[in-house]
Amino acid sequence: MKSEVRKKNLFSVFCLLSSVLVALSIAGCEPTYPKGKFKESIIRLCKKEYKIDVKVKTVGKTVAIYLPLTNLLDFTFALTPDAGEKINQVILNITRVVLSTDAKYDFYCVMAHDVRIPEIQIVIIKSVEDVRRFLLGDISRGEYGKRMLIDMRIAPQAQKERAIKDVFDRMNIEKKWQEGVMQDFFMSDPATLGDIGYWAGKFYIKDIKLSEFLAEEIASRIRFSFRDDKSLNDSLILKSVKGVYTVLDSASGGSRYFKIDITTEPRAIDGFNSKAVSDELFGYALKVSYEVIHGYRFEDFDYVEIKSLADGRSSKVLKEDLNNYKPRKTKIDDVMVFDAF
Amino acid sequence: MTPQKFKVWMMYVKLYKVKILITLAVVMLMITAVWGMMSLESFYRNQTLAMMPMQLMFSAVNALIFVYLYMSLFRTGGTASKNIRMKSNLVNVKWTDVIGLDAAKIEAWEVVQLIKDRAKVKNIGGKIIKGLLMLGPPGCGKTYLAKAIATESGMPFLSMAASEFVEMFVGVGAGRVRQLFKKARELASGYGGCIVFIDELDAIGRNRTFSQFGGQETNSTQNQLLVQIDGLQEKEENVIIIGATNAPEESLDPALLRPGRFDRKIFIDRPNLEERENIFAFYFSKVKYDKSLDIKRLARKSVYKTPADIENIVKESALIAARDGKDVIEFRHVSEAIERIDMGLKHRRSLAPKEKEQTAWHEAGHVVVLYLLHPARDVFKASIIGRREALGVVHSNPREELFTHSKEALLADIKTSLAGYVTEKIKFGTTSTGVDSDFNNAMSIAHNMVWRWGMSSIGMVGNFSFYETTGHGSDLAESTKEKLNAETQSILQACLKDVEELLKKEWKVTEHIANELLAKEELEYDEIDAIFKDYGKSQTKS
Repeated sequence: MKSEVRKKNLFSVFCLLSSVLVALSIAGCEPTYPKGKFKESIIRLCKKEYKIDVKVKTVGKTVAIYLPLTNLLDFTFALTPDAGEKINQVILNITRVVLSTDAKYDFYCVMAHDVRIPEIQIVIIKSVEDVRRFLLGDISRGEYGKRMLIDMRIAPQAQKERAIKDVFDRMNIEKKWQEGVMQDFFMSDPATLGDIGYWAGKFYIKDIKLSEFLAEEIASRIRFSFRDDKSLNDSLILKSVKGVYTVLDSASGGSRYFKIDITTEPRAIDGFNSKAVSDELFGYALKVSYEVIHGYRFEDFDYVEIKSLADGRSSKVLKEDLNNYKPRKTKIDDVMVFDAF
Repeated sequence: MTPQKFKVWMMYVKLYKVKILITLAVVMLMITAVWGMMSLESFYRNQTLAMMPMQLMFSAVNALIFVYLYMSLFRTGGTASKNIRMKSNLVNVKWTDVIGLDAAKIEAWEVVQLIKDRAKVKNIGGKIIKGLLMLGPPGCGKTYLAKAIATESGMPFLSMAASEFVEMFVGVGAGRVRQLFKKARELASGYGGCIVFIDELDAIGRNRTFSQFGGQETNSTQNQLLVQIDGLQEKEENVIIIGATNAPEESLDPALLRPGRFDRKIFIDRPNLEERENIFAFYFSKVKYDKSLDIKRLARKSVYKTPADIENIVKESALIAARDGKDVIEFRHVSEAIERIDMGLKHRRSLAPKEKEQTAWHEAGHVVVLYLLHPARDVFKASIIGRREALGVVHSNPREELFTHSKEALLADIKTSLAGYVTEKIKFGTTSTGVDSDFNNAMSIAHNMVWRWGMSSIGMVGNFSFYETTGHGSDLAESTKEKLNAETQSILQACLKDVEELLKKEWKVTEHIANELLAKEELEYDEIDAIFKDYGKSQTKS
């Protein structure tokens, strides 16, 4: 009798669990934001939840969102709290949609624009995979912050337009011809991440590749973290950093490499010639490069070239050496080959 | 829905309210969980689903740790007891299955009728039976009869051993009693009645002790039982409590035995000859046996055996027959089964020839005296194969149930015990330590004859052991003790003399039996009887 009752109970439990599993499976099948309604979903969500009007465009595996604001910057050219909050809200929405869709996107790009001064814009580029890993607790908040590209700049297209218009005016070319020439030759699609923007009602975006994103991220990290390195900051002033991922054609050897150009100025006259300071700068750049490339498990490169434009010193770090590099343990001379000093 | 059906439904709701509530809560939780999941965006839904196995595993580990701690720390605590309910149709012991308890059955049948016709009894103003106490030796069918009562009355049957109430912690037993009766009342409300059977009632029903050094748990359990039985009278549920115990009635608490609690007492004794025959026939009907097997003879040979003993004998016989490669049970298998049950398994020791011869003669002496002198016992088997501590044994059966023993029978017992010693003395001119248990037996009987039962020839009457057992031994004069002890010895000496005379007179038959034992090691009753008949001797009958 007992075993019969037990069998019945087990059967009931089995039925209950099965029905729950079936229900959960059905519930888990459909994406919340299907591919066909991807753009509409972002626009609808921003409008419904935060009453923000945005425009959306996709190119390849990149999504661009244009966010027009009336008070992006204050009189000191700092981001206003209200604008910051709206940007965050839009980022939250795009994150929700991009993670719960069956469309495959690798990057998204938020372009916030002040309608009063349309030339100035803030561009934020994020990797979807970084967002996913952050939400799953795979990377820390600090690391997540370092992995996004934030840039406040004058729209490159605006700069070009102003310069060309100036030339046309001086040449007394008629307005209608000016427009045609401008569209045909100076409003082309962006070639680099720095050219991404929104100008005169048009998106200037490109399908972002991981390699170029990483090159830009290395530069961005060096730029933003330089001030935290007290030793370097006491000796040098960072003027600019540029990161590029280059693929040479087969005639030139077919190499693929990251090129990091750093421009610095010495704080003291005699400090510039110090090899120790230069080594420290290269070591710092190497460490950042290693963190970024290793952090994304990126393999499609042969070497990393770091160049200090101030003293012309440059160094190559081969992929194998970079893979074996251990911050704090590896000596810089063991992995770097310097061309000149 | 009919009112009766509604009543049954309500009973189920009351009975399983915790289970029903838990099931509803689980179903609600499941629904809300699925609902909640469906309202999540697919990323978070997938994330939650992906984490579910891990969460389930952690929950299982947590549950295991909790159960382990609970079992380690509190397993003897808590009042929850095992599933005790049985439906009457699952008890399935029919009235006709109860064999050999004729007197008890008549009384129990009356109880069944009273349980069934409760309303009728109430209408005529009769008192309703609340409790039934079954007393008697173990293995006589008390539990079996209780089950038959449950089957016949068609009521749910809650069965618990009283020892299950008893726990280390005070209050746990009382809690279990409350739980049991609560369940019984709930069942009674649906089925129109319920039988609560408490086996081995003495575990909680013995006389209460009012000591500061312990016994509180048993006391509180029994108090709760008394309250519950009384409580039944205030309410109208038809709950009957049946208690069973093999402890003497005096050892139970008087409060438990007073009218209104266990109103009826049924003494279930060992079966008589006719009942034993019926019981043998019943159990043999379930196995294959040689039809020439004399069941009447088996019944005679199993005096004082309980139904459980008889069932065991038949089971053991079947095993022996199977081991013997036979398809049916034969008499010798039954004989071996009785011997194995009564005397234990044979334990072959390698005895020195001299020791073996001495043992054979010792046992032959017992056989001759038992056969020729004992008025109440038959030789069942003689053996010089060791069993337990003994090197040899003469197994005897009473011819019939006797509840008192005559002086003659007691003297015959003494003589039988002394026969081994006398035989050794006559044959070998010396004796061995093999007489130890014989002397213990003879001494004990002779002592009791003189000290307790007034069977001495010196004219001293009374139970002189009373002084010793009640702690007033010093009240007995030393001279009295001397006289009594001297008389004990004189009985033993007289018996010794009689045995010596008898054995010398019957030396040839003694020698024959000793030689047969040396040759065969074991002699059955029939073989022994044949030897005596060859010498023209017949068994003493009372």
